[in-house]
Amino acid sequence: MIPEKAYAELEKAIGADNVTREPAMLDSYSWQPFLNMSGELWVARPAAVVLPASTEEVQEVVRACNRNGLKLKALSTGWGAQGGASGDDTVLIDLRRMDRIIEIDEKNMYAVVEPYVCGGELQAECWKRGLNTHIVGAGPHASPLAGATSMHGCGNDSISMSTSSRNVLGVEWVLPSGEVLRLGSPGSGAGWFCGDGPGPSLRSIMRGTSGAFGGFGVFTKVALKLYHWPGPPTVESEGTVLDSTGELPECMSFFNCSFAGEQDSVEAMYRIGEAEIGCIQVRMVTSEFILLIMPHLFPKLVRKGGAILEFLNEAMASPFTILLAGNSPGELAYQEKVLHEIIRSCNGIAMDMSRIGPARRLMGMNLLRCTIFPTVFRFGNMFATNLDGNEALDTQNAWTHTMEGYKSAYVRAGGLIDDGGENPYMINYENNLYGHCETIYLYDHRNREHLESLEPLGFDTTLAAIEQCNVPLAAFEPVTRKLMSPLACDFNEWQKKISAAFDQNGVSDTRLYTDEEDPDYDRIDPAKLEKLKELQARFRGKERR
Amino acid sequence: MADRGGAFLNSLAGAVPGEAIISDAARLEEYAASRPPTASDPPALAVRPRSSEEVRSVVAAAAEAGVSLVPVSSGAPHVKGGSAPHSGDVVVDLSGMDRILHFDRRNRVAVIEPGVTFPALEEEAAREGLRPMTPLLPRPNKSVLASYLEREPITVPKYHWDMTDPLLCVEVVFGTSDVFRTGSAAGPGCLEDQWAAGNAQKNPMGPAATDLARLVQGAQGTMGIVTWASVRLELEPCLRRFGIATSDSTAPLLQFASQLARRKLGDELVLLDSTNASCILGENGPGESPGRFLLVYCVSGLPGYLPEEKVAYQERDIAVIAERAGLRPQYGDRAEELGAMLSHPCAGPNWKTRMKGASLDVFFLATAEPAPGLVDAMYEVAGRYGLGERDVGIYIQPVMQGRSFHVEFNIFFDPGDAGAAARVSDAAGEAAGLLAGKGAFFSRPYEPWVDVAYARCPDTVGALRKLKGIFDPGDIMSRGKLCFKGGETPGTR
Amino acid sequence: MMSCVRCSSCKWIPFNQMKSARFAKNCPSIARHGFHSYSGSGRVNMGLSLLEGRSELTEKVSEVIYSCQMCGACDTHCKVYREVIDINDVLLELRAKCVEDGELLLEHMAVIDALKRENNMLGEPKAARGEWARGLGLKDVNTETVEVMFHAGCRFSYDRDLWPGVRGSVRLLQAAGFEVGTAGAEESCCGGRAYELGYRGEARNFFEDMLARVRSSGAKMLVTACADGYAAFKYLYPLEGVDLPVEVFHVTQVLERAVSGGRLRPGRLPCKVTYHDPCHLGRMGEPFLGRWEGDKRLRLRSMSRTGKNGVYQPPRSVLGSIPGLELVEMERIKQYAWCCGAGGGVIDAFPEYAAWTAAERLEEAACTGAEALVTSCPWCERAFLDAARETGSPMAVRDLNELLLEACGESEGGDP
Repeated sequence: MIPEKAYAELEKAIGADNVTREPAMLDSYSWQPFLNMSGELWVARPAAVVLPASTEEVQEVVRACNRNGLKLKALSTGWGAQGGASGDDTVLIDLRRMDRIIEIDEKNMYAVVEPYVCGGELQAECWKRGLNTHIVGAGPHASPLAGATSMHGCGNDSISMSTSSRNVLGVEWVLPSGEVLRLGSPGSGAGWFCGDGPGPSLRSIMRGTSGAFGGFGVFTKVALKLYHWPGPPTVESEGTVLDSTGELPECMSFFNCSFAGEQDSVEAMYRIGEAEIGCIQVRMVTSEFILLIMPHLFPKLVRKGGAILEFLNEAMASPFTILLAGNSPGELAYQEKVLHEIIRSCNGIAMDMSRIGPARRLMGMNLLRCTIFPTVFRFGNMFATNLDGNEALDTQNAWTHTMEGYKSAYVRAGGLIDDGGENPYMINYENNLYGHCETIYLYDHRNREHLESLEPLGFDTTLAAIEQCNVPLAAFEPVTRKLMSPLACDFNEWQKKISAAFDQNGVSDTRLYTDEEDPDYDRIDPAKLEKLKELQARFRGKERR
Repeated sequence: MADRGGAFLNSLAGAVPGEAIISDAARLEEYAASRPPTASDPPALAVRPRSSEEVRSVVAAAAEAGVSLVPVSSGAPHVKGGSAPHSGDVVVDLSGMDRILHFDRRNRVAVIEPGVTFPALEEEAAREGLRPMTPLLPRPNKSVLASYLEREPITVPKYHWDMTDPLLCVEVVFGTSDVFRTGSAAGPGCLEDQWAAGNAQKNPMGPAATDLARLVQGAQGTMGIVTWASVRLELEPCLRRFGIATSDSTAPLLQFASQLARRKLGDELVLLDSTNASCILGENGPGESPGRFLLVYCVSGLPGYLPEEKVAYQERDIAVIAERAGLRPQYGDRAEELGAMLSHPCAGPNWKTRMKGASLDVFFLATAEPAPGLVDAMYEVAGRYGLGERDVGIYIQPVMQGRSFHVEFNIFFDPGDAGAAARVSDAAGEAAGLLAGKGAFFSRPYEPWVDVAYARCPDTVGALRKLKGIFDPGDIMSRGKLCFKGGETPGTR
Repeated sequence: MMSCVRCSSCKWIPFNQMKSARFAKNCPSIARHGFHSYSGSGRVNMGLSLLEGRSELTEKVSEVIYSCQMCGACDTHCKVYREVIDINDVLLELRAKCVEDGELLLEHMAVIDALKRENNMLGEPKAARGEWARGLGLKDVNTETVEVMFHAGCRFSYDRDLWPGVRGSVRLLQAAGFEVGTAGAEESCCGGRAYELGYRGEARNFFEDMLARVRSSGAKMLVTACADGYAAFKYLYPLEGVDLPVEVFHVTQVLERAVSGGRLRPGRLPCKVTYHDPCHLGRMGEPFLGRWEGDKRLRLRSMSRTGKNGVYQPPRSVLGSIPGLELVEMERIKQYAWCCGAGGGVIDAFPEYAAWTAAERLEEAACTGAEALVTSCPWCERAFLDAARETGSPMAVRDLNELLLEACGESEGGDP
């Protein structure tokens, strides 16, 4: 229970209508089954939830938490367990009322947004101005600010529009002390166009591969790099997702490319990066597409022993979808020709889906706005991913096999739904500056056996990452962080120092930023524990020598 | 360092071979900033470590003794003052650490030590059909890492996705003497382990929620010493054509540059005034130019990817954009000559010395709209100090794929004329103050505008000092630079 | 309820349809109140909390549950991604739970008392129910056999401002050659709103009452001008196992046929209008598709309440048939239309919130450049008329039938 005095201060700060401690209402923030790797479905019930409407109100809330010994954690859309509180002394700052697009600077190609602007809204506004915005793989539901400052942020369009963390320009940040810090040019009153300097960049402590997941103050505004959009101001589309009948803009085409073998597919991704073509590129196996758009067919295929799915996956080895966008007919023609040459040289077939009416109509908006991917929930009820770190495409490809090895054991034992194979989600950043891969697995969170697989599988992910010499994105989880940090320059010791310097009262909910936890060793296979010890012995301290 | 010197020297002697310690006055003189107004005294000592381990030992010894270290990677002359020592400082000269530790053609990345220069990396890369990104005409002994760590803009904006580019992962020895590796180089395992696992040190962010490469970048050595880094390389085009668009004002050229950059059209994209173009071309000069400003751009094709067709569509698209902007770009010998020079390190000495022997550079970031007004404001201030248009060269570079511009004024002067140097310095200081109020963002603070830059962002200064207290609590790294003036760093109180 | 993963689709219109940030949201409740519990997902999460005994149904929770127009926009967007969640069903259950546990809103109790007393949602005297139809020459279904039984609904029956619309409906039907009758003073509420308020017992009584009247009328068609009534007949009645032995139409569906069949010939009416899809004629009026037994993950799309099968085209066809009339669409239309604010008992319990919701829609309508907002539901019309008056909006609010009648060269004065 939140103390009366503290509650009254919150009410005074932002108005009684914007604060709640009603248990059922708080529970609507605690139901967090998605990406809840603990196997639980509810996270802690927060002490209160507040709805500030401005940076000043956020500051007031943060100061009230400091005065009253409460913890705080901000969320934007709050999708996934990372959006919840980790203790009942945490005040959740729901940033829903801060939902303005402050500015879209058409000439200098950036937008300044508040936390509750979603990707779909921003993209719709950008298109009207001849610009486009990166949308994260989670879909247009997600907050671009959260992706840029606090979470991960990769997406299908990363080949041409990078990843959220690298699209950050100026930032407005309410520190755990309640003070406002503006990173880069806005800190000097020079506009929002740059996030670094003067001198050392404070983006250095804002986030890395991932952010602090709300464990380090509150981000209230961010300027995001936008990109050129060669398409029309709106793309007309009837229907919603699976019944979409939109048209793909004339300046675009998209292809499903499949190969004789997996190495050919990876080679093609490398060459596409070198050739500097492509607007969207994502590698998903055939069974994933069936899963996405034909969930009714999927279980029938699985019931046949998965043989058909395996056949499809092998016959169409490591296919990927690529959407090309030309700023002129000449550029589109060039890109198409280069793509065909690349695919041919890699023993593949590029099927021009944009010439197939139904596919063109179905996939146009679904690709451009990334609307189709959240349908992955439809079959299993729930899914999760083994998060890799971001590295060279070859490494990402290897990850699919490593995780398949682990995952299939759970599938065989009934701990996960049989989804027909490795199911990677693999993308290429910035014309192959580097890549990202996750291995998707399906489960039903109403099934206790499935839930009990999650922690051990998370442990396996960590083991695989150590073997691969890579800090996985999953290092935001306290267990993974505890295992990884000593093997990676003690990064968490530095995070703790930074956190302490800026959060002297320890007001932030740091579970997903600096807290550490041991795995539940009783639930881990002894052979795997042995393997962990061996890896720790092999690698400890070696990265600094 | 007089009172602490003995202990430090003893530690140093155990850390590096004797020949790595330089105390000869003549040799120390080379480390002083060489020309007014940032001219400095020589350091008390210089040390030339040959490995990361030796750097770590040197830093540990300095931390123990409270001696201030100034890392230097490029060869002399040192002009901007970023590596200028104060008397009593010890220079850590990294130019001898000049190995290319790893070269990965497939992933287009190299891991290099601080002493690797642009010509050296260019030569190695060319063997594999790759090229490093360069700032405008770096001098031949310029360290690649020093340039990238200083966020010097590269001339090909389409490869400048983020301000860190083309820098990827770094190994840094912080002022605490802790070694840290950033991005995907952080571990587990050493570089060899990571290579064996297929990694290529390509992810510049992390590990986890840190991005400390950004902390050491732009820090002028105040946080730590970088001992190696991975850097991004690009495919070397097999076909290049240069074009030049000219105008009497910067505005249409800036607009044109924005339009090209936003479509990732072209490679090199550099805006110069005729003064700077003359300096760069040397005796040949720009010849009769139809405008005072010129935008040089390159269209290229990549080997194996239909280069002729790529060049063809780019030229067509650029022609359309140019027509809309009322510009008539010209191709031909003059464009090719200037373009070819822009793509490589400077053949001779620093081009900025050609006009009068020295230049004081004032540079900042700005968006396209205020930039022309900032140019006018600079001329106005320069005029008040008796400096004409031929005394001030202009270089404007689109950065972040055209979201903003690096605007640089090169104020030429005779280094032998103390009065001229002082006048130039005063003009630069006054201009910085004026420009900062008109939309100029001094993201890379050097003298004489360090205070101007930091006066505008007290909150940033407060945060940076907290970080200085964490990563260099003894204030031994490049003491007194940036906003870390004596006694103002938490760790030193 | 356990299947909600809190993705927040329920708070926005389908993403492929987003054309601006201004009109990207679909749920008035969360847009107005902010806390997640005011969204479709949040109410589902709260329901699960109550079900699991983690929290209790309190006055505040009841207020949250009832601060919802039951417009169904959340359910429609949720269905894009999830087969297994029926938010609308959960919302109905939560309200029934409130009634069962006695966590009631006083305003709703008053409405239900009046309903029981006077057979209508407005508390007006039951004897005056048929006055709107005076002079139209309608048959009395209580005593005569008719082809078309016309159900005016509570709002149309008593809201004199709206009588031109309902009278216009009847005159158009007659002009199209239909023999129309009503129950006059014997007509009573369809019971749909009572059902949505959670008063299932009371609603059931009205369902049975309606069934008896329809049976005795011998009518082949039940035509209503009330969108609430339409949704009740098409969805709630079969949901509760009440099978009306007639074909049920909204008046716009019949008029569409009359126009396309040449039985009505509208003349030129130059104007620029936009059309508001009433929730209960659109997504909430989608026919009951039967209960899906077994694993919902395998539920066929054709058995899902996706909102696609609401009445969207008929009113547009009618408008399209009027020469000189230009229809300009708002951004949020059809199954992802923004609500007028009146539904779900909101207009009774939270009039300010209802007015705010309507004003939002008027603003969206104004952005199209239309001079009039046309709709085909009396509750929507009333909400918009009030909001236009309160906000000073110059937007005219028109009933579709009234407009068609005008195009056909006639007019309804309103007061019979």
